[in-house]
Amino acid sequence: MMKNMKSRERFSNGIIYAILSFLSFVWILPIVWLILVSFREEPGAYTAYIFPKSYTLNNYLLLFTDTKLFNYPRWFMNTLIVAIVTCAVSTIIVLLTSYALSRLRFKLRKPMMNVALVLGMFPGFMSMIAVYHILKAFSLTQSLFALVLVYSGGAALGYYISKGFFDTIPKSIDESAMLDGASKNTIFWKITLPLSKPIVVYTILTSFIAPWMDFIFVSVIMKDNYENYTVALGLFQMLSRENIYQYFTRFAAGAVLIAIPITLLFIYMQKYYISGITGGSVKG
Amino acid sequence: MKNTQKFKSLVNKVLNRMSDFFKGFKEGNSVTKGSYFILGLGQLLRGQIFKGSVYLVTQIVFIYFMITSGVSNILGLRTLGTQMQERVWSEERGIFVVSKGDNSMLMLLFGVATIFIVIGFIITYVMSVHGSIQNEKLIISGKKPNNLKQDIQLYLNDKYHVTVLTLPVFLTFLFTIVPLVFMILIAFTNFDRNHQPPGNLFTWVGFENFSAVLWNDPLKSKTFVDLLIWTLVWAVLATVLNYIFGMILALMINKKGIKIKKFWRTIFVITIAVPQFVSLLLMSQLLADLGTLNVILREFGFIETFLPFLSDPNWAKATVIIVNLWVGVPYTMLITSGILMNIPTDLYESAKIDGANAWVQFWKITLPYMLFVTGPYLITQFIGNINNFNVIYLLTRGGPLSLEYFQAGKTDLLVTWLYKLTVNEQNYSFASTIGIFIFLISAFFSLIVFNKTAATQKEEDFQ
Amino acid sequence: MKKLLLAMLMLLMTLSLVACQAEEPVEEVKDVTLKVWGAQEDQEMLTGMIEEFKAANPGTNWTIELGVVGEPDARTKYLEDPEAAADVFAFPNDQVMDLVNAGALYEVTINKDAIVAANIQSAVDSATVDGKLYGFPMTADNGYFMYYDKSVFTEEDVKSLDKMLEVAGAAGKSVFFDVSNGWYIASFFIGAGNKFEMVDGKQVLDFNNETGVKVGEAIKAFTANPAFLTGDDNVLKAGFGTTIAAGVSGTWNAGDISTILGANYGATKLPEYTLGGVATQLGSFAGFKLMGVNSLTMYPEEAFALAEFLTNEANQIKRFEVRKLGPANKNAASNEAVLADVALSALAQQAPFAMSQNSVAGTYWGPAEAFGLALENKDYTMSIQEMLDALVSQAAGE
Repeated sequence: MMKNMKSRERFSNGIIYAILSFLSFVWILPIVWLILVSFREEPGAYTAYIFPKSYTLNNYLLLFTDTKLFNYPRWFMNTLIVAIVTCAVSTIIVLLTSYALSRLRFKLRKPMMNVALVLGMFPGFMSMIAVYHILKAFSLTQSLFALVLVYSGGAALGYYISKGFFDTIPKSIDESAMLDGASKNTIFWKITLPLSKPIVVYTILTSFIAPWMDFIFVSVIMKDNYENYTVALGLFQMLSRENIYQYFTRFAAGAVLIAIPITLLFIYMQKYYISGITGGSVKG
Repeated sequence: MKNTQKFKSLVNKVLNRMSDFFKGFKEGNSVTKGSYFILGLGQLLRGQIFKGSVYLVTQIVFIYFMITSGVSNILGLRTLGTQMQERVWSEERGIFVVSKGDNSMLMLLFGVATIFIVIGFIITYVMSVHGSIQNEKLIISGKKPNNLKQDIQLYLNDKYHVTVLTLPVFLTFLFTIVPLVFMILIAFTNFDRNHQPPGNLFTWVGFENFSAVLWNDPLKSKTFVDLLIWTLVWAVLATVLNYIFGMILALMINKKGIKIKKFWRTIFVITIAVPQFVSLLLMSQLLADLGTLNVILREFGFIETFLPFLSDPNWAKATVIIVNLWVGVPYTMLITSGILMNIPTDLYESAKIDGANAWVQFWKITLPYMLFVTGPYLITQFIGNINNFNVIYLLTRGGPLSLEYFQAGKTDLLVTWLYKLTVNEQNYSFASTIGIFIFLISAFFSLIVFNKTAATQKEEDFQ
Repeated sequence: MKKLLLAMLMLLMTLSLVACQAEEPVEEVKDVTLKVWGAQEDQEMLTGMIEEFKAANPGTNWTIELGVVGEPDARTKYLEDPEAAADVFAFPNDQVMDLVNAGALYEVTINKDAIVAANIQSAVDSATVDGKLYGFPMTADNGYFMYYDKSVFTEEDVKSLDKMLEVAGAAGKSVFFDVSNGWYIASFFIGAGNKFEMVDGKQVLDFNNETGVKVGEAIKAFTANPAFLTGDDNVLKAGFGTTIAAGVSGTWNAGDISTILGANYGATKLPEYTLGGVATQLGSFAGFKLMGVNSLTMYPEEAFALAEFLTNEANQIKRFEVRKLGPANKNAASNEAVLADVALSALAQQAPFAMSQNSVAGTYWGPAEAFGLALENKDYTMSIQEMLDALVSQAAGE
């Protein structure tokens, strides 16, 4: 009996490995192509072949040395700083908001959830101009601080995932803690958060990624303050009609470099993806 | 019947609150009466120095603000500017001296912002008065109002929600709600190419835009309907497919006995670590008619002429959905992974003991659990996909453009169509009007589903 | 007493000395702060020009800031916040109408006649609305023409589009023309005599008249030819010299294409195509870049002076030397080096057949692209007449 089950399990595992390998291959293919382009020596944005005719490290080197037109190092630092700060602020805001909406009961709770759900639905492009002028009224324009504010400002609206997660943590845990005299604040930091590691990881990751990707908001807020551009906007400039032929390979190199901090962060945070945590704590 | 009753009780509640307000004034002692005019008085004089000073400072700042700009902002809302930019010929300087006119757009924006500030102040005012009345009641019954230490305790426990939500709410108002109201109001003006500040003013036109939109000519109607259908189809397919595939992927990786889970997950995360506009740009080149993929397929002899991934309307629609899978599945995989790990293992164990195999376990435990937790997420994803500007625009620009549509292409969503109209014609008021329609439809639909889902109804049970 | 008197006398003398000095009219040095916007590739060049300007005008305390806003973005960036926009900025002529409508540009009245006389007529026309001059012409090279591979075509071949298709086909190569693009496809219609007009803010086209239908047929035949190839700049540059023997594009690609083709680099005006059996010259759009002054500027006279300086003859020549941009200034354009430039002389040959974009509305581009795309994809479900009717009515915004 046992032997049958074991070999069946090995068989199904084998199939799964095969599928996973195939999917990973398909998924990573465009990225591999991007990396190949970043090492390509011939210029041009479009080639009829995949493997470069000659390889070079120049694209990466020039990104950091030839800063006359594209100040990549400065932009990279800008984006890194904004990403770290935004990540910290947004994560705290979102998690606290989700916690409040999940565990605490107060009069405006349902209306707030409905409003938050609905707020993201208006397809308007004028909002960026409005935000820009609001920032200007506070004399905050063209600064990295403004960017952090804007990115974190809308963070609370993404509460639904974390809230859904918090909802599944049994109330009995909270109640036993309250019997021991803990305040809601203590419960959040000492109990709820440690139990929610996977979701915390997800939240940190997505809020860290956002500033690296956005080139629309940055364009409106930074206007002509070239030094304060973020990496996404800067790279986007390389795609202009005049530049794209010469700079496409460098653009690819720049894009690859963006992926590195994000991937590193994720690898570091992976250790929090451990299963069965709540299962254990309730039993105990 | 139920609705009218609900409405009546709501009205009653409001009336009660208002009469309480006035009763408080009549029945309160002199300190309380004073707090109706000077915020924070009821706290300052009763030992709550910190709270009281906060209220008082707020009042002073507010009055200062109103005097310097607030009042003129609100008045400006009525006309949205009367002074047009003027030029006066100056003989001695040889130029037209330009005198600045009113900027209608800014007047609208700041008027709206000021109204919200006024509302915020009124709320603060009511809170201060309410607190003052409460303090008086406490003193009458022989107790003391909270001192600072007790208040902090209160706000960390029973009133934790206030502490925690103040900053997010404030930021949301500032960056989401005020701009949103601003944009909605634009639909009631005639802000378009011919009324562009700073040289021109625009003004209120009431419901003119809406009636213009409703008397559509056939081409615009056809475009609207066709795009609406495609938008809904796209949103459903994108959301559902991404979710299912993500979940399957997460299940596969998460299964007991699969090694190097971290490796698999990292591979997929790398694809979201590259900025979307970069990967989509690559995709649009890979899949172009003469793009790399086609070239390779031809070289290997699989096909004769190129496959029109992006140039044929139907192919393009399929391509867009598949590419969106590539973009979105890593995200759904991460989320579902996180939730999967939180399902109590004892549920599975007792199921196994009862003899359930993997398939049954999935249907009866995993799936309901996932749907419950991610219900709201799915709805928001659906709405988000309705408005998913990025993927469509960056991949196909909404193309292939078609003469059957009014300034639109076959993969255009309503949003991308809107964007093109705005950019090409600068017809902001028209764009806002259509935006309101889209908004009303989305909001109506999702609010109903959201409030009816098992999620919200069984919230308490689940916990 | 005496000491006091002495002290007072000293004080008086000192005071009078000071008073004397104060009364002497010291030259009032005006403090002027200006902001300039230019493309990012121009930053270094502009910085140099600005320094020269400051040196040439010592009587003022200049603070001139340079910001990065590329010409295509000028209108958007301006309208987002007019007050924070630069005092002097560069923009392409197809943004003139929008900027004038929004009251963004300061009407040029100082030295207007000198500017009009110094620059090419079409450049000045593109900057003029209702007889008023709104910008300083800077470059005159935003048009397009035909690049070709000299090893495939002779100078005679490139005079006729049909001949080019024949020769290219025989050599197994293609002729590149981005037909699904309103900017390029207009060349067929302009050459045939169809018109762009703006009436009451609406675009009025006559593309669906008899001539227009013949044009449509000609384009259909062109796109159906096996040697025809479409795509974008990337496709053109990737295939030029190997699979592509000729292509229509503009000066921004001159550098790259000359590198690719090397000794076989050739450029000339657009060829003639066959319209209903008659050889007709292809027309084109002419594009110019202008410098404008912000109507909200605090220092109009100084801004005008700066803009005029940045676009004067010497600086236009410098622009050509540094960035290979064709000048709009008459003298600069007849400069030897400019005339010798292959791309610019091709543009100059095409110039008589080029028209300004001032009467083209934003609603034209979408339908034109759709029309071209249908022909490229050989999608003949609608007849040419039907397609043109749709194009005309959509461009009018109906």
